Amino acid sequence: MSAYIPYITHIFMIVGINIIAVTGLSIFTGFTGLFSLGHAAFVGIGAYISGILTYYEYTNYYVALLAGMAGATVASLIIGIPTLRAKLRSDYFAIATLGFGEALRVTLDNLDITNGARGLGLEVHTTPIVLLFSLVAVLFTASNFLKSRYGAACIAIREDSIAAEMSGVNLFRTRLLSLVLSAAFCGLSGGLLAHYFSFIKPDMFMLVQSTQLLATVIAGGMGSLSGPAIVSLVFMSLPEILRWLEMWRLPAYGLLLVLIMIHRPQGLMGYRELTDFFVIFKRREKGGKN
Amino acid sequence: MELLEVKELSRNFGGINAVDSLSFEAKTGLVTGIIGPNGAGKTTVFNLITGVYKPTCGEITFDSRNCTGLRPDIIVKTGISRTFQNIRLFKRSTCLENVLTPILQRKECSIVSALVRLGSARRIEREAKEEAMSVLSAMGLSNEANRVAGTLPYGLQRKLEIARAIAASPKLLLLDEPAAGMNPEETLSLVDLISEIRRKFNLTILLIEHHMDLVMNICDHIVVMESGRLLFRGAPDEVRRNEKVIEAYLGKSANKQKA
Amino acid sequence: MFLQTLVTGLSIGGIYALMAVGYSLVFSVLSFSNFAHGAVIMLGAYMGLGLAAKLNLGLGLVLSGAIAGAGVLAVLNERLAYRALRQRRAPSLYLMISAMGCAVFLENMVYATIGAKPYPFPDKITNQVLDIVRNIISFLGLAAEHSVIEIAGITLSLLDLAAFVISLLSIYALHIFIMKTRTGIAIRAGVDDLTMCSLMGVNTNRLIAVVFFLAGAFAGLAGVYLGIKYYVQPTMGSITNKAYIAAVIGGLGSLPGAFIGGLILGVLETFVSAYISSVWRDVYTFTLLIALLIWLPNGLLGHETEEKV
Repeated sequence: MSAYIPYITHIFMIVGINIIAVTGLSIFTGFTGLFSLGHAAFVGIGAYISGILTYYEYTNYYVALLAGMAGATVASLIIGIPTLRAKLRSDYFAIATLGFGEALRVTLDNLDITNGARGLGLEVHTTPIVLLFSLVAVLFTASNFLKSRYGAACIAIREDSIAAEMSGVNLFRTRLLSLVLSAAFCGLSGGLLAHYFSFIKPDMFMLVQSTQLLATVIAGGMGSLSGPAIVSLVFMSLPEILRWLEMWRLPAYGLLLVLIMIHRPQGLMGYRELTDFFVIFKRREKGGKN
Repeated sequence: MELLEVKELSRNFGGINAVDSLSFEAKTGLVTGIIGPNGAGKTTVFNLITGVYKPTCGEITFDSRNCTGLRPDIIVKTGISRTFQNIRLFKRSTCLENVLTPILQRKECSIVSALVRLGSARRIEREAKEEAMSVLSAMGLSNEANRVAGTLPYGLQRKLEIARAIAASPKLLLLDEPAAGMNPEETLSLVDLISEIRRKFNLTILLIEHHMDLVMNICDHIVVMESGRLLFRGAPDEVRRNEKVIEAYLGKSANKQKA
Repeated sequence: MFLQTLVTGLSIGGIYALMAVGYSLVFSVLSFSNFAHGAVIMLGAYMGLGLAAKLNLGLGLVLSGAIAGAGVLAVLNERLAYRALRQRRAPSLYLMISAMGCAVFLENMVYATIGAKPYPFPDKITNQVLDIVRNIISFLGLAAEHSVIEIAGITLSLLDLAAFVISLLSIYALHIFIMKTRTGIAIRAGVDDLTMCSLMGVNTNRLIAVVFFLAGAFAGLAGVYLGIKYYVQPTMGSITNKAYIAAVIGGLGSLPGAFIGGLILGVLETFVSAYISSVWRDVYTFTLLIALLIWLPNGLLGHETEEKV
């Protein structure tokens, strides 16, 4: 049994790191209703900024993680302020984020400090304890955010942006806040990832990865934190357990997107959380009205 | 005293004046009705007052404050809220969440305390929830609090939309065809409900409606529009007797019946 | 130097235009960005390569095979991934996500089955293209060397020249087809109002199949050209992101727009490479895309489209 522990730990690490990024995108896409094809770029910014800081020994690991989050936040403001203010059509907005992601890849490929396409070799700092702590912190703040006036504003915008405005919601500021928070989570995920795999290169943060994140959120359910987390668990751990699946992971993501759009646009969990089911279950046990 | 004053308001869409130098007032505490044939520009007036559209020219003064061309969310905060002709609820949220949304937007809560959900954030949440429940029960919806809004029957959806508008704590409430799609019984109970919430929440009401009995029953003052312009305004009795109105509005429907 | 850069830019722009047409055509009727178009171009190239290398066919058959194959593939793509969404009137964003899924699926299926190795087109095909171009040039009374031509001090690769001319002629032919034929008129009616069209008795499913076949045919043509000029590999679809930007510049939905947009982007990129920095060229391109979406969302020749939500 003990021979399996490193293996299980590894799966926990990759799933946990992925769930942090997926939760970030969930807030933006699932709860605010805006689609992004560039969120892997925020993961990449977090990975590179924190990676560069530890690689050249500017700061320690923890400061580097925070700096990665801050960097992703700043990047989200740069792309978010002009595009969200312009109130683009939702598909044009998705395309603008795609362009942003591609521009970042070119940048990473060509800077000296990032060591270009060859990538950066880093030390391993992300321990299971650090990840566990980050994961709990992210899920805690995300669910608090959604219960607050800001979260209510995001959901209102997703449901009906005009009615949201007539409920006192500032469209631009709420959308921007949602983007910034989701980018910060993705940036954290990037920093954790860089110091777990101990190696980063630009093509780890491309359109394919952005699409994967989006597929996970859509498949899990737009408007649910637990749904995307479950999908992330399945999609990250299955290819690890069954090695031959690895090659088919990306085709499967693609196919999944198409099938979900056609057959179940609300995703696995729809607009519910796992906890909702526990509540229903409890009520049934008590023999309550519902 | 005038709570809302609309002066020379115009809005042009691609060369057509949907609203054409329209002026009227809504007096504090009264119910003012806007009537007119389809396409007269009534809903456009609502959209201009609430900032959904920007006026081409003209001035809107609310509570002695110039509100012309402000953003909708700012206008809501000055004290105007509304319902929509084609119901716009947050369909996949519960009734409680629908009503909670505008209440939460009125509460100050910094982003940091929202993220860590400190004691103060919890207190705000609790207060907001109580407030939302009291609004729901005023509208007779407390039993539906946890129901998903999109699954409510049509009549209740209209009520829920009014509840959400009240939850924004307005001084002026704009109702866009609140009785549309209701049967005569439901319309009658709506009349009672509107008078009740008016007293309870101390509201001034501006409403668009096609049901003439409702309008004549409930309104203290009526504004008649035709092709974006003001045709006539006055008390219900005066409107009923006015020849221009009969010709343009009632006369048309009389002609329709003949044809 | 300036003229040389301009000419090189125009020739690259011709290829962008050829690919951009597919995006514009689909957008004009269905109002969504069909990101699977890039994968269809890539598969068109593989089909051409298969016909040329495995079956040892000549240029004519390779081209027609790739064009027909990519056309059919695009039609299948629409049937399997978009039709159901279209019929339940899903928001255009859903169609775009589905298209994105198709692109990821097709591209990675090629990785998983054929592999990432780049394949060149057989020399035979390349030489056939060069022969044809040289013959035409000498017919016009000019002299060409093995694979380049020099006019007034400007060198131009014969392949690029051919691509530019083919793209100009084929886009013009498509334009004529849409303006003059019965099917073309039906397509234009579909552009105005698809629902109205179906009420008037037009079979919209067939109409849309024709549109996708045309887009696919252009994809096949572009795929074979890209394969001849560079290599055939799964990632070759990524250049089509540029073609998409070209379509946005010209105005999504407009065919002349796609052509002009392609040329503008080609020239702009070449000038940025030549006078500013070749390394940062793509950063400029994508920044331009974002700026355009914000300030000129309808492009140069597009008309305003309302989003279906």
